[in-house]
Amino acid sequence: MSNTSPSDQSDSQTTRITDCLAIGSIVSSNSHMDYTVEIFNETDRERAPGPAECEFGQPVFIHKTIQDTEHVIVGVIYDTHLVDPDQGRSGPRLAQGDQKQFTPGYVEERTKLAGVALLGTAEVAADGSIENPSHQMPRWTLDVEDIVERCPDGVTRAFHTGTDGGILIAYMERLLDLAGSLGAEVMLVLLDRLRESFPTDEHQRVLDVIEKDVRWQSSVDRGVMR
Amino acid sequence: MSSFGPSSESTGDGGKLVGTVAGPGDGPNEFFIVTPDEQAVKTGEFITYSVIVEGEPQDVIARVTNREQARGLPETFMADPNVAPETVAGTLGVPTEDIDLYRLEATVIGFYDTQMQTFANPRQLPQPGTRLRTAPDKMLEAVLPNIGVDEADARTTGGEVDLSSVEVPKRDGLAHMGWLLNREAGAVDVHVPIDEFAATHLAILASTGSGKSYTAGVLMEEMMKPDVRASLLVFDPHGEYDTLAEMRGEDIFEGESGYQPEVEYFDPDNLQIRISELSIGDVMSILDNPSDRMQERLDGGWRAMQQRESRTWGVDELLVEMYQQYGEDDSSVGALEWRLRRSIQRNDLFTTDVNVPLEELVAPGRCTVLQMDTLSRRDQQMIATVLLRRLYQARLAAVRGREDDPNYDGEIIDFPLFSLFEEGHRFAPATGEAPSLSIMRTITSEGRKFGFGLGIISQRPSKIDQDVLSQCGTQVTMKIQNPTDQDAIKNSVEAAGEDVLRELPGLTPGQAVVSGDSMNTPVLIQVRKRHTQHGADSIPATQEWRTAHQRHQEQPTRSESADMGGGESSGEQNLLGED
Ligand SMILES: Nc1ncnc2c1ncn2[C@@H]1O[C@H](COP(=O)(O)OP(=O)(O)O)[C@@H](O)[C@H]1O
Ligand SMILES: [Mg+2]
Repeated sequence: MSNTSPSDQSDSQTTRITDCLAIGSIVSSNSHMDYTVEIFNETDRERAPGPAECEFGQPVFIHKTIQDTEHVIVGVIYDTHLVDPDQGRSGPRLAQGDQKQFTPGYVEERTKLAGVALLGTAEVAADGSIENPSHQMPRWTLDVEDIVERCPDGVTRAFHTGTDGGILIAYMERLLDLAGSLGAEVMLVLLDRLRESFPTDEHQRVLDVIEKDVRWQSSVDRGVMR
Repeated sequence: MSSFGPSSESTGDGGKLVGTVAGPGDGPNEFFIVTPDEQAVKTGEFITYSVIVEGEPQDVIARVTNREQARGLPETFMADPNVAPETVAGTLGVPTEDIDLYRLEATVIGFYDTQMQTFANPRQLPQPGTRLRTAPDKMLEAVLPNIGVDEADARTTGGEVDLSSVEVPKRDGLAHMGWLLNREAGAVDVHVPIDEFAATHLAILASTGSGKSYTAGVLMEEMMKPDVRASLLVFDPHGEYDTLAEMRGEDIFEGESGYQPEVEYFDPDNLQIRISELSIGDVMSILDNPSDRMQERLDGGWRAMQQRESRTWGVDELLVEMYQQYGEDDSSVGALEWRLRRSIQRNDLFTTDVNVPLEELVAPGRCTVLQMDTLSRRDQQMIATVLLRRLYQARLAAVRGREDDPNYDGEIIDFPLFSLFEEGHRFAPATGEAPSLSIMRTITSEGRKFGFGLGIISQRPSKIDQDVLSQCGTQVTMKIQNPTDQDAIKNSVEAAGEDVLRELPGLTPGQAVVSGDSMNTPVLIQVRKRHTQHGADSIPATQEWRTAHQRHQEQPTRSESADMGGGESSGEQNLLGED
């Protein structure tokens, strides 16, 4: 848990997970797949994430060592909440004024919360890149205070590359299901990001078909098409 | 009577497990099947399951009539033809292997009853969960055509009754037409009982170019084989059967005691009609619109002539008779004279002489082809009318045992006949405007009793007389697109079910539905290749132009000298390609 400012911020194309921007920490979960993350602010970190760095649809990861193997658990920001403890004094306000560090359950100031849906896992190679991405549901539970880092585009790309070099988005149905009314939107943002990462014609065509499928499904769900 | 028990599970002879009964279908004899395998079962396939009927296990055969996908990749995965749906599925982690499920609809045909020698309806649908197999090839060979397999035929050396053990190709009197289209080529051969269609008549119906004449050729080959030795008479208005003579000298047609099929061709010179053979109705149909008075005069004259001993009278004698009866200056007889001379006396088709004796025309082991391509339609009809009438009388006389009758001086044919008509609608038209229609109706309705079968070939079923068409007990139907003609088939062909009719527009040349008396259930077949050449292939124009052009180039001066005639000009010979 480094407090130093990441050196690698500008290089979003990096394929390594080292020195990525920490954007928040886990405060709670709604289900095995759905976590709430409090986004760091200036009091938490010297280098707090800017609005664009923890935006809707931003892929993130949690770096964890499980049974001696380093893993990343990859997720995506699919929802945000603003909490203002002063607003009608309705929010939890248990933190002491002198408490510098954020303490879960003790909200002392205005806070931004993000919903993170888990997408899958990958192993971390010796050089810090990821390998063997899996879009299966992760079996492990994350912990409160686990640091959530911003996933660079290069890593996102690696996470979405199948063994045959094709695009892999096998979590899609789960994500659409979990993210509810925002599912289609977050999926479309992810697809947009993947378009940047997979520029070849062949990949773009596949993305086109999937994008149509998502749009079609959400239109059907909303009853504007059948 | 179970023809495949657990033992046949491992044999390659059909019997492949294809699916499970899901539940009853729409009709009383229909049920649904679920199958995971796209390849295993196509529409038209015969499948089987076992049920207990009156205490005995029976293999019930059913036909798959419809097939649709019950589960598979969503259509949205197919939004871009450049992207395989499997690629999209792979991207989304959707499994693509073994996920497709198909829902089949099947109609029960029945189990083969060796007593009745046809299918019997078990009157019960298979239970949901019943497993279905493809019906074994050899079993289908034995039970699909109406070849009368009985219990003794199906008994194995071990004493069991096994329909798959019947050796169908070894049975006599069957026409090997081809094989089931749904199975591999030659896997389930279809042998049609010749006795059946020769007695109850045959119709071959299809659009031009679908393989009618070809299929007729196949049947004729089968009928000329040594185990049949039929007497065939072909009315060939297009000269399509010139190649049948190739049967002679082919091993497959040779039989014991030196049998070889005879193929005899008769051209119009040999087909003359003796005027005294014409009926008054025939003459009326030949003459242009005779008035009532003329008809009456002709009737009187014709009757008087028919009373006479002589059978060699002609128009002159008839006119003398009529002038005698009605007076020298009867204007109606005068008008008749002009018509009779023009239509009968000056037509080479008619003669006063003795015409071809029937025993020279037809014989067992002989295929007689009447080459009528140079004749007018009316003359073709006249020949058919008179010949059929004579043949029918001769058959009647034989069956009624009149050869010993001193009062009978007509002809006798003591063997059955089968006569084939190309352009059948020409001889038995729905409009009724053909002198041959009446005898065609008589033969199709009565011929069964007298061993006289007809085969009607036509590309316009809707233009055939419905009485004649509906009497054709066996139907070979090939590609037909015209809805009027499809309706004609629906109306007159009893056995043609909806599921069979649906197939017709999609057939390709050489594919046919065989239905009716010769079959226990209609089947879709691929007609086999002919042993002899097919004589009706269209002339390859570009090739003939090229070779003709080359010929002309090579003999630049011939065109002038050829006209000089006589001499030793070899030009003509060269033109015939005999150099
Ligand atoms: N069973 C078959 N096997 C192979 N070719 C066939 C078969 N039946 C028809 N054909 C082809 O189709 C063409 C048309 O057949 P034909 O019998 O002359 O048609 P139709 O008499 O219906 O006008 C033939 O020249 C032949 O090449
Ligand atoms: Mg033809």
